[in-house]
Amino acid sequence: MVRLSRVLLKEAGLAIDKTLSEILVCPLQTTLEVRVCEKTKSLVSDTIGVSFPIKDGIPCLVPKDGIILDEDGDASKAS
Amino acid sequence: MRRINSLYGRIGLLKRKPEKTTFLASLSFSTDGGYGGGGESQQNSSRVKIFDRDLKRVHRDRAAWLSRNKNDTFVDAVAENLLDRLEDCKKNFPSALCLGGSLGAVQRLLRGRGGIEKLIMMDTSHDMIKSCRDAQEDSVDNSIETSYLVGDEEFLPIKENSVDLIISSLGLHWTNDLPGSMIQCKLALKPDGLFLAAILGGETLKELRIACTLAHMEREGGISPRLSPLAQVRDAGNLLTRAGFSLPGVDVDEYVVKYKSALDLIEHLRAMGETNGLLQRNKILNRETALATAAIYDSMFATEDGTIPATFQVIYMTGWREHSSHPQAKRRGSATVSFTDIQKQFGGQS
Repeated sequence: MVRLSRVLLKEAGLAIDKTLSEILVCPLQTTLEVRVCEKTKSLVSDTIGVSFPIKDGIPCLVPKDGIILDEDGDASKAS
Repeated sequence: MRRINSLYGRIGLLKRKPEKTTFLASLSFSTDGGYGGGGESQQNSSRVKIFDRDLKRVHRDRAAWLSRNKNDTFVDAVAENLLDRLEDCKKNFPSALCLGGSLGAVQRLLRGRGGIEKLIMMDTSHDMIKSCRDAQEDSVDNSIETSYLVGDEEFLPIKENSVDLIISSLGLHWTNDLPGSMIQCKLALKPDGLFLAAILGGETLKELRIACTLAHMEREGGISPRLSPLAQVRDAGNLLTRAGFSLPGVDVDEYVVKYKSALDLIEHLRAMGETNGLLQRNKILNRETALATAAIYDSMFATEDGTIPATFQVIYMTGWREHSSHPQAKRRGSATVSFTDIQKQFGGQS
């Protein structure tokens, strides 16, 4: 029960923990930062326009998991 | 016989899965098809692909379920040996990154060694990471702040100069570009950070290699690759120097694991996620050939007590990110004392 609530809390806050947010970068271009997008529950690498999902509070940064954002989709997220 | 049947049935199921993902890959982001081959500057110019990383990911998903709540003595021995090296260091490593392979064993056996405060666990398989997280949440010891991450060792998503220690236990031998991955590890380390890795070496499963070859020759009149090409010991030192680690250290250990039969060996390999992940593998393994392999293995290598041995050669690599405190070789020709004078001074006889 405790575990469940902890998982739920993680889901609600979504914020990936501080350690990760400090050191994670885009796997395709390690000079680029990734930002957390709360709305789509993903990590977005803006410059190359790829979003990586966060599943169960675990960010998935395998290049193959990334989704290329469309131009208009990207614009709406950026706002 | 039925058992083998069901096992291959499972492989058949697994094989279908990557095909589905490749279909999706046309929509989602795919590493295939020349990303980085064009204008992108990549560190590695040679893009030879030996291993099927997507298949390996599926293998590791399966391994997460097969190894659930089970402690594997071989994997534990390797992890223990690797972590033992942390006790030899005077330095503390506040932040550590643990890469693929036997993650669970490393996490379980760490026991406060190396003064690690923040641990980041990374694997290509989401299920593997989840089972690690579940195991950690069930355990009482929560002194280390642990974060979880799904990532590929070939595309390390870690900022430069950000961790003090990188541990990789039995994972890096599945990377297509081992030097490239090690260079990425080096970049992720802070100066004077430590890189610790254990990979399987060329002598690994030599019995199975022989048995497979003989059975294939006998039953199919030719051979196809069933076992990965693995690094040799002499390569390991070169790898470390090429990646630019200072104070490189390599040592080798051989473990002989005994199994009841060759099928138990294969079952163990599955539980470790170490089954054939070659890109150019033969996707069909004839049942006859499989049985012949088991029979040849048994007749050639079985010991008196009826068990069959399997050799695992593990290469341990240690390297540090360069730092001003490390000993440096003097510039050539900068010596002021002749060796003959030293010899005269100390060793008169010889």
